[in-house]
Amino acid sequence: MIAAGRLAPICLAALTLAVDQRATATAPASARFADVTAAAGIHFVQRSGASPDKRMVETFGSGVAWIDYDNDGFPDLYFVNGAPGSSNALYHNNRDGTFTDVTAKAGVAAAAGGDRTFKTGAAVGDYDNDGYLDLFLTALGPSVLYRNNHDGTFTDVTEKAGVAGAAARWSTSAGFFDYDRDGRLDLFVASYVDYRFDSNPYCGLKKDGYRMYCDPKIFDGTADRLYHNDGGGTFTDVSQRAGIANPAGKGLGVTFCDVDRDGWTDIYVANDTVRNFLYRNKHDGTFEDVTYAAGVGFDSNGKPRAGMGVDCADLDGNGLPDLFVTNFSEELNALFMNRGDGTFDDKASMPGLRSAYPALGFGTKLFDADNDGDLDIYVTNGHVIDNVALYQPNLSYAQKDLLYENTGAGVFRDVTAQSGPALQALRVGRGLAVADFDNDGKLDVVITSVDRPAVLLRNQGGAGNNWLAIQAKGRRSNAFGLGARVTVETSEGSQVREINNVASYLSANDVRLHLGLGRAAAAKRIEIVWPGGARQVLDNVKANQMLVIEEEVR
Amino acid sequence: MVHFVTVMRVFAALVLSLGVAATAPRLAARQQAEPGKPAADQRLTRIAADVFAGGHGRLDADIAELKTILAENPRSAQAHALLGVAYRAKGSPDLLGEAAGELRQAIDLDPSLIPARLYLAHLYLDLGRAERAREELQAALTRMPAQSQLLALLAETERQLGKPDTALDLALQALKSDPASVEARYYQGLALYDLKRRDEAIQVFEQVLQAGGRRPEVYDSLGTAYLDAGRLDEAIATLTDGVKLDVSRPEPMIALARAYRLQGQLTRADAALAHVRTLVGATAVSQADQRVQRDLYLEDGLLRLKQARLDAAARSLRKVVDLDPNYGPGYRYLAETYIRQGLYARAGDQATRAEKLGAPLPEDLQKTLQDKLRASRPKGQE
Repeated sequence: MIAAGRLAPICLAALTLAVDQRATATAPASARFADVTAAAGIHFVQRSGASPDKRMVETFGSGVAWIDYDNDGFPDLYFVNGAPGSSNALYHNNRDGTFTDVTAKAGVAAAAGGDRTFKTGAAVGDYDNDGYLDLFLTALGPSVLYRNNHDGTFTDVTEKAGVAGAAARWSTSAGFFDYDRDGRLDLFVASYVDYRFDSNPYCGLKKDGYRMYCDPKIFDGTADRLYHNDGGGTFTDVSQRAGIANPAGKGLGVTFCDVDRDGWTDIYVANDTVRNFLYRNKHDGTFEDVTYAAGVGFDSNGKPRAGMGVDCADLDGNGLPDLFVTNFSEELNALFMNRGDGTFDDKASMPGLRSAYPALGFGTKLFDADNDGDLDIYVTNGHVIDNVALYQPNLSYAQKDLLYENTGAGVFRDVTAQSGPALQALRVGRGLAVADFDNDGKLDVVITSVDRPAVLLRNQGGAGNNWLAIQAKGRRSNAFGLGARVTVETSEGSQVREINNVASYLSANDVRLHLGLGRAAAAKRIEIVWPGGARQVLDNVKANQMLVIEEEVR
Repeated sequence: MVHFVTVMRVFAALVLSLGVAATAPRLAARQQAEPGKPAADQRLTRIAADVFAGGHGRLDADIAELKTILAENPRSAQAHALLGVAYRAKGSPDLLGEAAGELRQAIDLDPSLIPARLYLAHLYLDLGRAERAREELQAALTRMPAQSQLLALLAETERQLGKPDTALDLALQALKSDPASVEARYYQGLALYDLKRRDEAIQVFEQVLQAGGRRPEVYDSLGTAYLDAGRLDEAIATLTDGVKLDVSRPEPMIALARAYRLQGQLTRADAALAHVRTLVGATAVSQADQRVQRDLYLEDGLLRLKQARLDAAARSLRKVVDLDPNYGPGYRYLAETYIRQGLYARAGDQATRAEKLGAPLPEDLQKTLQDKLRASRPKGQE
């Protein structure tokens, strides 16, 4: 992919098609994943609480998070379970490819909450800037904030923090970011539909076995929430004042990035069956909904899609973050390429991405799966209607994941078939998160699946390519540098990335930034622009190392 | 679920009077930045007139223009409301959720935008969510008590919630507030019909048509009431008028097929059902879809029964009970079909289910069935 990639944008249109078709036909994939779940000692099985009543929340699964809770440099794993009373699970990374379940000791089972609390997602961030990552959990029901006690245990501080939300609210994806650049991480919580157990409509044919989960169109949307971190362990709900409390929203996914490169983090929300929201940060604690101006709300025919998972990163190497959203079966996943003038082009129908048409996408991540210097796309799929085959025999509940390799300049080809047996398995994919759990320089993937075992997929590809990982340590900025912009220049070109662990669906990725460098043995220059605005430059940094960059305070 | 042009015009006027004036200064300021382009309020006025008049083929252009306005001013409640109305006017199920979302955002931005609540209530009724329609209308009535359009739609909402008495009362209140409201009168007719006051309902529907309420729904309601009253010629004429206004709705075509069948015009009944089949998808997911499919198969079964095509009749009627296992008439006519096929044991099973569901066989058929079942038993077991 590096051979075809990084091509100068001469005759790009013609070249794009040629590269894509040739690549699809012949080139082997260089990313390859193996299912190492059993060997790693992970036994987590998601429990949806599925019932004959087809309560909608049952089919939306739950998320997964990478969180190095003990700061040993090896990301640990946190699984969110679904059904009321079920236990979440924290697995400690033993640094030898295996994990140990430490849920009970850590005190993060989150099994309480009553028989109507369905847990959904997880977010990771150091909200109190003590250098240890904390954990926020969403639910159809009250959310939970766990503070890291630095000793392998956590304390539920939800009440003091004031972030539980309404008792009947269906919160989904969430994430920490510093929208006002005050050095403290704020919290955004996406909210899905106004669903009530006591008015659960019957949907589908009135025949045995034909009842189905309802279409979200029949439910009202609910407003997302933004909590400002006031310091001292408390937050204030500023959703209305900040301008992000649109009651039309049916948010399932959220990601953050600085789409206009003005140094302030913006918000993009994937909504189900209504338009997505792009909120531009106005630098004064408020946001403007620029979705219509940017053209990132609908498909190319002006119709809203079923947005599920989402990520934001530079896919075509122009230095500007692009937006990717997974959608429903018989819709294409959205790929909005940033033009740099506040508007985007939807490249969903790019030939190399069309294989997603029958799939129903959920968790997703844009990452460099083969370390060749550009970002690839991983999507986990699974239908929401468990009996969908009764209605549409061409569709199935369990589906394969999809891996798209970036062949250069944001042109993709489907390499799922060539990427190992693990990607040929069927699952009802929901949560997905990425980290280099064994610190071998290759990003690995964890996926949750409705009522099925979670899977850990170890990356065994990318042979010969170099890499760099960066752990940012903020001093004036937030402690893990979330929101920092990093530009890396090598002999093969430059890459612009943001440190951001908030992407996918209900899930949180590693807070460390991972960059593939292709054949370059070193980075000639690394520039980091901290969320507080300070710039820092490192020259001639050798490849294949974990770099810790501490924010300089002058 | 009726939407008269007059109602829309009033609504358009309300949108403009309540909304645009309030935002005019901001919109005017934006206009100064783009000389030569009409001010947003002027554009909204033009689009409102267009959208509320039914779009006349310009809906896509109107939607594009509204998106442009929202790109310039994302907080224009009027633009969000009009976009919701325009989406609904498109008639695509894919846009219903978005239409509701735009209307809800409009109300969130400007809670005084009563027309948005009225239209949102209409949309909730489209979605089969009468309780939510009631909530919106009650909220609107607290700001505009005795407003006739709100009262009229609340009447229809209560009727759909199974309260025809309340519906009739509210429709009369709406008429007191605005005696010329054809919408309120139509809903009065529907309430009377649900109250089993069919002949009064017919008179009211006729008045609605005479007053200019020439909407497909009114023709459907009147035609169905005529059919119920056995006034077949009038039923066929009225339903035909309704179908001419909108050929895309299956329900009046099914009623027309029934009228033709009852009048003995079986070829025409067949043609009407053939048209319905082009309108109905293979998969029924929503309850409304299921009801339409059930009614289609029932009418098809009854037509085949009349044509003495008993195998085809049985096939269609089996689909009726498959689609709706709690629908008594399906079992009742299936029992009759089996009797005519000489399948008495099967007929007996179906007749038992039909009776349990309140749709027993007529006495003569019951007697025939009992006689045949008795005769088929071995001697000594009688």
